[in-house]
Amino acid sequence: MTFVDATFRIGIAAATAVSGISHAYLYIHGYQHIPTIGAAFVLQASVSFAVAALILIGGPEWLVWAAAMLAGGALIAFALSRTVGLLGFSERGWQPSPHAAVSVVAELLTVGLWVAYLVSRRRVGARG
Amino acid sequence: MTDAPHTMNRRQLIRHSAWFGAAVGLAVAGGEVISHIAGTAEAKQVQARPTLRFAQVSDSHIGFTGKANPDVAGSFSQAIGRINNLGYTPDFVIHTGDLTHLATPEQFDHVKQMMTGLRTPHVFTVPGEHDSVDDAGQKYLSAFGAGTRGDGWYSFDIAGVHVIALVNTLNLKKLGHLGVEQLDFIAKDVAPLPNDTPIIVFSHIPLFAMYPDWGWATGDAAQALSYLRRFSSVTCLNGHVHQVFSKTEGNVTFYSGTTTAYPLPHPGDGPAPKPVTLPAGKLHDALGIREVGYIRGQSALALKERALQ
Repeated sequence: MTFVDATFRIGIAAATAVSGISHAYLYIHGYQHIPTIGAAFVLQASVSFAVAALILIGGPEWLVWAAAMLAGGALIAFALSRTVGLLGFSERGWQPSPHAAVSVVAELLTVGLWVAYLVSRRRVGARG
Repeated sequence: MTDAPHTMNRRQLIRHSAWFGAAVGLAVAGGEVISHIAGTAEAKQVQARPTLRFAQVSDSHIGFTGKANPDVAGSFSQAIGRINNLGYTPDFVIHTGDLTHLATPEQFDHVKQMMTGLRTPHVFTVPGEHDSVDDAGQKYLSAFGAGTRGDGWYSFDIAGVHVIALVNTLNLKKLGHLGVEQLDFIAKDVAPLPNDTPIIVFSHIPLFAMYPDWGWATGDAAQALSYLRRFSSVTCLNGHVHQVFSKTEGNVTFYSGTTTAYPLPHPGDGPAPKPVTLPAGKLHDALGIREVGYIRGQSALALKERALQ
């Protein structure tokens, strides 16, 4: 693993963990009572923690893809909950603050780092 | 290139399987830890009583006859049984409207008689539009209007919580309507309260724009909510839409409750909100009641939806 690879992995793992922490916090502080959404929050958080930990200790590349898919899915769910609603659940703007904003920034960062990671690996592959 | 990039030998397969297993194992363990922390936090909250616990029931539509539910009285009776078997006595029960289907004296008598079976110190109601189909709510007020103000609105304090029950089903055209007199009541009612007083608001039609095309909104709710913005915790519970839905706008959280009679389609699913006939055996999954708990010092109320099944 190159230094650049390791840096991307640390960044993706950290951003994924932050999104997981945010979802876990909201689950513990009330969202557990929202039908279906509560279960989705605890699932997002637990899978985020697992994926982040395994990326950090050098797991295979599909874990990085899993982190990106998780972040993308969370962003889509966020957009739905602010527009047409998601499974009977709807919120407005950046509420609950600051967790909504923290999650979105972390998830955008995950997706951005994933794209950069892929580009970097492709360049290395092309050179090699 | 001699190696096929997408083939995997036995050793690689075992390695990837091990990583996948580790991911699943860690996720399950993480989920357990989070659930345990949440359970501990909730247990602490439960120990933090005395608090307020009440049940919401809605849209019983006593008198409805249709294949969506041929026995609404039976379903409502089950709902009452569900509330009576929560394992504790709720501080009160609120019926958020459409007690009857056609607001006949017989239907009001029937539903009132049934509600005497609720084991709780207080039963509160707000009218639905079905409770005022032909007389601007006069029969409703005769049956349930004792102690209310104006056309049936009122407020009370319980366990440090200020509760406001609103009537937004009279003078409605397409959307719910509160009217100047009731808005004035709200403004004066909350004026002396400190900002940290938890507020709970009951109404039949949602105070948020759930689906205005079907009338699932209240035209002048923004004015009412403007009086409540300064409070740190405002929770609005409504019926009318026959389905669970929640929405948060700043410090105000809205929760639509389900029904004990028959389901309605999801917003925009079809041309109009007509009763939905579910396959045999599925109806009681869609019907239910709601438990609501308030812990002193917490800004969010804890809601539990209970199906009649």
